Amino acid sequence: MSEIKVHPDQLYIDGLLQNNSKVIQEIYKKFVPKAKFYIRNNSGNDDDAQDVIQEVLVTIYNQATIKGLQLSCPFDAYFFLLCKRRWLNELKKPTNKEVTINDENVSIDVNVQEMTFETENFDEKQSLFDEMFQKLGEKCQEVLKLSFVLKTMEEVAAKLNVTYGYVRKKKSLCTGQLTEMIQQSGKYKSIKY
Amino acid sequence: MNEEQYIGFENYLNNDMPSEEKIIFEERLTSDAEFRESFELYKETTKFLDAKFSTETIDFKENLKSVSKDYFAENTKSKPKVIAFRPFYFAIAASLAIAFGAWFMMQQNPSYSDYNQHETAIFMERSNADVNVKNAQDFFNKKEYQKAVASFEKIENLTNTEMQYFYGISLIEVNDFVKGELFLNNIKGGNSIYKDKATWNLALSKLKQKKYEDCKKFLKEIPADAEDYSKAQELLKKLE
Repeated sequence: MSEIKVHPDQLYIDGLLQNNSKVIQEIYKKFVPKAKFYIRNNSGNDDDAQDVIQEVLVTIYNQATIKGLQLSCPFDAYFFLLCKRRWLNELKKPTNKEVTINDENVSIDVNVQEMTFETENFDEKQSLFDEMFQKLGEKCQEVLKLSFVLKTMEEVAAKLNVTYGYVRKKKSLCTGQLTEMIQQSGKYKSIKY
Repeated sequence: MNEEQYIGFENYLNNDMPSEEKIIFEERLTSDAEFRESFELYKETTKFLDAKFSTETIDFKENLKSVSKDYFAENTKSKPKVIAFRPFYFAIAASLAIAFGAWFMMQQNPSYSDYNQHETAIFMERSNADVNVKNAQDFFNKKEYQKAVASFEKIENLTNTEMQYFYGISLIEVNDFVKGELFLNNIKGGNSIYKDKATWNLALSKLKQKKYEDCKKFLKEIPADAEDYSKAQELLKKLE
């Protein structure tokens, strides 16, 4: 992740990061039609397209937030490939049988491929985090959630009617437990980069 | 579980650690790979949790959802406008145009008034004795058929085919079809120069009565060498 040349389209990533409505609308106007068309052309409907596109944009947002995503290729190709691959994965699920895939074999720029894989990798990792979080005990889930939703740990303590020290300690231990669960999962090793 | 270690991670991340402790912590991060890996994962997990629950993320998702909803609503709205909506209206418009056209043609095609440009009656050359003959001729030419009929009726001896012909036409003009057709049929059955003209006017009589099938039957009887042949064919085409 050293010296990558940031593409001018980074402005779309920054716009997402800033939750800039104008940028989001522009993304929908400029780049979504192509993805929508692809999904609709491959056994999908408008609802599928809507879901896939939103999921991809949330992933990009999260990657930008957590990993400081730096775009090194055109947003158009990167976004389209993400949507396309996400939809193809959706089709591969056992519940979706008998689908036809109209795929024109276009050569994809190496940069775009790399960016896409990186984002997909990130997405997998996030899914693993989410999955493990759901496996945490109820109390841990509550403490962790509140400690990120509320501004200060004092507020969390007040909300849970416990001491500040207890909440601080609980948060550390719950996060630690989560990391251990993630580490122990088989998926973690395959995703780790 | 190494409780102390996680509490240490948390304190370090929150910059809540005495400076001496911090130095030792940072030294261990560089020297102890396993410790470093644990810490990196702890840091990452914290970021994930933050991203998952922060109000910024929730706001972003909400905003995204609304933009998406607007976009797809607009598109499904405009889609039928382009693909289904407009052709639907075009179809209606076209149907209306055809219906109107058909109605208009039905009204216009078999219209007697399109064809009742009768030739001028000139009786006086042959007979100048009877004032009724002159009146009949003049009223007919002025298209005052009621008066023409009245004059024709006063003519004592209406044996002249030419006069019978114009009398027949006048009768049809005033909607006395039975009598008018009687005269015209007589002429049609004869061998006068008015034979085919009588057939033509019989067709027009039927047209006026909107008896289109009868009209066509007469039209088809008009021979190719008749004066009214082309008009007959034209009318026939419109009726078919």
